[in-house]
Amino acid sequence: MMNYVIVGASAAGLACAEQIRKEDKDGRIILLTKEEYLPYSRPSISYYLKGKVTEKDMLLRKPSYYKQTGIEIVTGAEVTAIDRKKKTVRAGRKSYHYDKLCLCTGSKPFVPPMKNTQSKENALTFLDLACTKALKKKANKDTRAVVIGAGLIGMKAAEGLSKICKSVDVAELSERVLPSILDAKSSKSVKKFIETEGHITFHLGDTVTEAKSKGGKITSVVLKSGKELPCDLLVLAVGVRPETSLAEKAGLEVNRGIIIDPGTMRTSDSDIYAAGDCAVSVDMLDGSKKIIALWVNAVRQGKAAGSQMAGGEGATGGTFAVNAIDFYGMRICTCGLINAAGDKYSDRVIQSGESYKRLIFEGNRLVGFVLINSSENAGIYTNLIENKTDVTTLSGDILGTPSLMWFDKETRKSRLKGESA
Amino acid sequence: MKRVYAKEELCLNCRLCEVYCKTAHSQSKDIIKANKYEDPEPVSRVTVCGDKMLSAAVNCRHCDNPKCVEACITGAMQKDKKTGIVRVDEEKCIGCMTCLAVCPFGCIKTGKFAVKCDLCCTEDEPACVKNCPNRALVYADFGGKG
Ligand SMILES: Cc1cc2nc3c(=O)[nH]c(=O)nc-3n(C[C@H](O)[C@H](O)[C@H](O)COP(=O)(O)OP(=O)(O)OC[C@H]3O[C@@H](n4cnc5c(N)ncnc54)[C@H](O)[C@@H]3O)c2cc1C
Ligand code: SF4
Ligand code: SF4
Repeated sequence: MMNYVIVGASAAGLACAEQIRKEDKDGRIILLTKEEYLPYSRPSISYYLKGKVTEKDMLLRKPSYYKQTGIEIVTGAEVTAIDRKKKTVRAGRKSYHYDKLCLCTGSKPFVPPMKNTQSKENALTFLDLACTKALKKKANKDTRAVVIGAGLIGMKAAEGLSKICKSVDVAELSERVLPSILDAKSSKSVKKFIETEGHITFHLGDTVTEAKSKGGKITSVVLKSGKELPCDLLVLAVGVRPETSLAEKAGLEVNRGIIIDPGTMRTSDSDIYAAGDCAVSVDMLDGSKKIIALWVNAVRQGKAAGSQMAGGEGATGGTFAVNAIDFYGMRICTCGLINAAGDKYSDRVIQSGESYKRLIFEGNRLVGFVLINSSENAGIYTNLIENKTDVTTLSGDILGTPSLMWFDKETRKSRLKGESA
Repeated sequence: MKRVYAKEELCLNCRLCEVYCKTAHSQSKDIIKANKYEDPEPVSRVTVCGDKMLSAAVNCRHCDNPKCVEACITGAMQKDKKTGIVRVDEEKCIGCMTCLAVCPFGCIKTGKFAVKCDLCCTEDEPACVKNCPNRALVYADFGGKG
């Protein structure tokens, strides 16, 4: 009987465990997480903050599920060392033997150097349920909150806080909001919308350099521009970095993220695999190596790793970024190479009122899109990207609503039958 | 499992399937109220794509390996092990629409939650099939898991 151990029980770790169970009915699967909770939806923490979902609703599976499927899950178990010779991992006083190990350690917050923000009781990150609970406890209608970072996580924190707090200020070093998913033009209109809907004040091209405190508590922050903002709650959401400390300590190859073979998901040790935010992905659209810190990618990689660990042939089936998110009802859906630059790429934009659609092409192939309030049937675009479809074979306006009728008769028939697209 | 299959050669673009789907998924279950007055407006889960020349009623395929389930960031979208029906748990769904971003058939609609075909779970035949006057929709088992 095989012993499988997985470190980290979130998107990648759970998908990995489930895939192993699908392909190996008898193996022992141990899923270790340092968090105190059963696997939950990390992206839902902002919805929890604003009170839209309960803790119970955030659980990815029912508590009884793990026993039923024979996945031994251990919470509060931080793995501190891997012994590659003995093939064991250590968590607290316990050690676990593995035949196959998968590292799904995810992301950790990146905190840029700032004066006087360390170990202040009202300076928090926004990455897991524990810190969200702490944040929720501290935020009230008199709170003046400052969020550092206008990326996805910072903006989600700001949105959640804006429903509770007296004021929310967001400082972002870049000149635009959501710089990783929006271009200059669209980010301007998104910023305006969020300012009006959420009463959020932006300080773009600026950041916090220093905090002023009294008795272990931050009272105000000073920005690079010299501005000083009163601050009862500081949220550090500049960005995330792959959590690789365990892999590094074990001597595995790491370069920003854990290096894996994209076909087998193996690290530099052939019995250790890695998946999700902690691993380096190869973007199928341009061959570049990058960290794709998104849920779907983590699930696909986790599944592929699980299959490989169980001796199967599962693969990710191509890795690329796809994301959907909403702010105050404004829907943003993005996929592929959003920031593609260079002569080989071209784009087409259509804009009207609150909606915006930008398609990015490489020759006759769609390689990316940004859709704001225009995501109808977006999955058809995603599918064109994934299949590298020559768009000149389609009938109909590519900037219109994607439709089955774009495809030729044969494709339509097979899709109506539900054959895999 | 049994699924809804559309025949484009029989479709007349009358869109009655949409009307009846809307009714079946409304509060009142009344065809007039559902299609004219109800607020929030019920959403049809089936969509007739195309024009008078060529059209077909596109509906969730209840895929064997559903991309929407794989992509769901909350665990709200699940494929029922027994029935094979792919359904949204509205308590868990946060309406992010990641599922919509990956469904290759364009079968998820935006609402407060992800809105999609549930094969009228409790009925022996889904409303769209029952009410298609041209038999352009059939409910049949051509294999597949579930
Ligand atoms: C606020 C927020 C909103 C987001 N919104 C979206 C969204 O809308 N769409 C989207 O696609 N993505 C979103 N993301 C990103 C998404 O959550 C991540 O891509 C995804 O969670 C990655 O999954 P993972 O399994 O690789 O790692 P993680 O979810 O980071 O999980 C890793 C787990 O491993 C544990 N761990 C780490 N080291 C150890 C150790 N040594 N021992 C034991 N356990 C350990 C960690 O505690 C953690 O529980 C969001 C993230 C945040 C924070
Ligand atoms: S919504 Fe789309 S991906 Fe999901 S089961 Fe239906 S057809 Fe398949
Ligand atoms: S909209 Fe709902 S069902 Fe779809 S991915 Fe988001 S949480 Fe899951």
